[in-house]
Amino acid sequence: MTGEPVGALNVRPGQDDGQRDARTRLREDGWCVIPDILSPEGTARALERLWEAAAESERRGVATYMPVLDPNVHNVRVFNLLDIDPMFRDLIRRPTALDLVRSLLGDDFLISNFTANIARPGARSMPLHSDQALVVPAPWAHPWAMNIIWALTDVRLENGATLYLPGSHLCTDRSQLPADPAPLMRPFEAPAGSIIAMEGRMWHTSGANVTQNEDRALLFGYYTAPFLRPQVNHNATLSAETQAGLDPDMRRWLGLEADANVGLVQDVFTPPQPEPDRAAEPVA
Amino acid sequence: MSAPKALPPPARDVEEGLAHIREFGLCIMTDVLAGPNLARARDALYRAAADDRARGRERKFGLDYGDDDSNQRVWNVLSRDSVFEDMIEHPLALAFVRGVLGWPALLGNLSANITGPGGGEMVLHADQIFVPEPWAADPQGLNVAWCLDDFTEANGATRIAPGSHRLNRAPRADEGDVPTVPLEAPAGSMVVFESRVWHKTGFNRTADQRRAGVFGWYTKPIYRAQENWFLSLDPAIRTFASDDVLVLLGYKAEGLGLVYGASPA
Repeated sequence: MTGEPVGALNVRPGQDDGQRDARTRLREDGWCVIPDILSPEGTARALERLWEAAAESERRGVATYMPVLDPNVHNVRVFNLLDIDPMFRDLIRRPTALDLVRSLLGDDFLISNFTANIARPGARSMPLHSDQALVVPAPWAHPWAMNIIWALTDVRLENGATLYLPGSHLCTDRSQLPADPAPLMRPFEAPAGSIIAMEGRMWHTSGANVTQNEDRALLFGYYTAPFLRPQVNHNATLSAETQAGLDPDMRRWLGLEADANVGLVQDVFTPPQPEPDRAAEPVA
Repeated sequence: MSAPKALPPPARDVEEGLAHIREFGLCIMTDVLAGPNLARARDALYRAAADDRARGRERKFGLDYGDDDSNQRVWNVLSRDSVFEDMIEHPLALAFVRGVLGWPALLGNLSANITGPGGGEMVLHADQIFVPEPWAADPQGLNVAWCLDDFTEANGATRIAPGSHRLNRAPRADEGDVPTVPLEAPAGSMVVFESRVWHKTGFNRTADQRRAGVFGWYTKPIYRAQENWFLSLDPAIRTFASDDVLVLLGYKAEGLGLVYGASPA
């Protein structure tokens, strides 16, 4: 590999032209926006419940400021949304979201995490990264992860919209990134009630909120291929009560069932042999 | 591929073993378990296997020869006897894990494969086939195999294609019959092979021999464990575990596998 950026960064800038199917835009551009998933009333209610979840998290002793991620206290992070409020267990499995997830990651995806980041005035930017490159060694030939980002407020450059490097999802290693990405960064702008889908190889950073009095609230539903370890240990973070209320689909998507990647191995090679009907036999 | 056609001789120390892994994809360390330790591990494993068989708890594995009722897999071996806790954090095993994968690493599984008379071969495979290609430049996992019986060509010793890890890909469908070498080693040996080397269980052509191997499968920490420890682990193991074991089982975490953003132990 040479150190020069390749054509990856010369692809279409990924403006939401609305002409192509959202799945196609996600696959080709590495991101897409679908507006009006939540009604204005639904969005307002979700934002209210997010703040309630932040308070509940603090009550449980889990801080909502992460010094390791953010340069100052103006970013509010809320973890374990799935355990705190059933509304989030509904959002994470909304059909529009899962349709995009399946189109990119296949049917056997995992729900890796669901968190919130509220950028308050004064919030500053994170370092540039791709979610996949943070944990997975190069080459990054395929998308193995993606975010479904729920905009609970309008998201625009000034209030801290996520900034992305167009075309960078096609970079298979670091040598293909430009030496000075800053002038090439673009904001994901979307009205409140939208979802923004972003694949795991897209290089991005949270923006800075330079407004005086405007919050920018985003929920990050993070999904991965089934062989990657989830970001959080759902077996431990979800209360017994929450787990008891999950249907089989959710249990599978959260990795709570006993079978992990051996199921995948069986699909690649020989079909699993039918189990003999032992139930009918006496257990000696 | 200018692959070596034979196995390396037993390695004298970890450094030489790591060099063998780089060249051949595997190394052999003899006399790691001996005397009462070997006898205890062997007794514990065969007791668990007999118990599974008597209670109808056996589970087939997709890469095994399907119509085989002689060979036997034993799963979640870690929870069957405390002797296996010593195995997963044996200093020699962890030295190879650190040398090949780095640290922290995860234990994906501790399972056993017992071949029996007439038992069939497995499908030729590499252990990291769950990772889509192209693969990264380094191995993503490591198998530390414990021979609890003598492994011989006749009793179904694991068969290996030495050097095949350098291809950095899984075998194709038409490569199932590439030449392989039986991994012959005396009981008490540890055989360490990286996740890209092609291998399979051999045929057991004996009339009356079983041979047991316990396989400690370790991965880099980004991968989902094959066994869901949070569901199946004997709670006593977590309670009394060393820091190294807590890391291997995902209870002491950094960045991934967190509980409310922090390590659960």
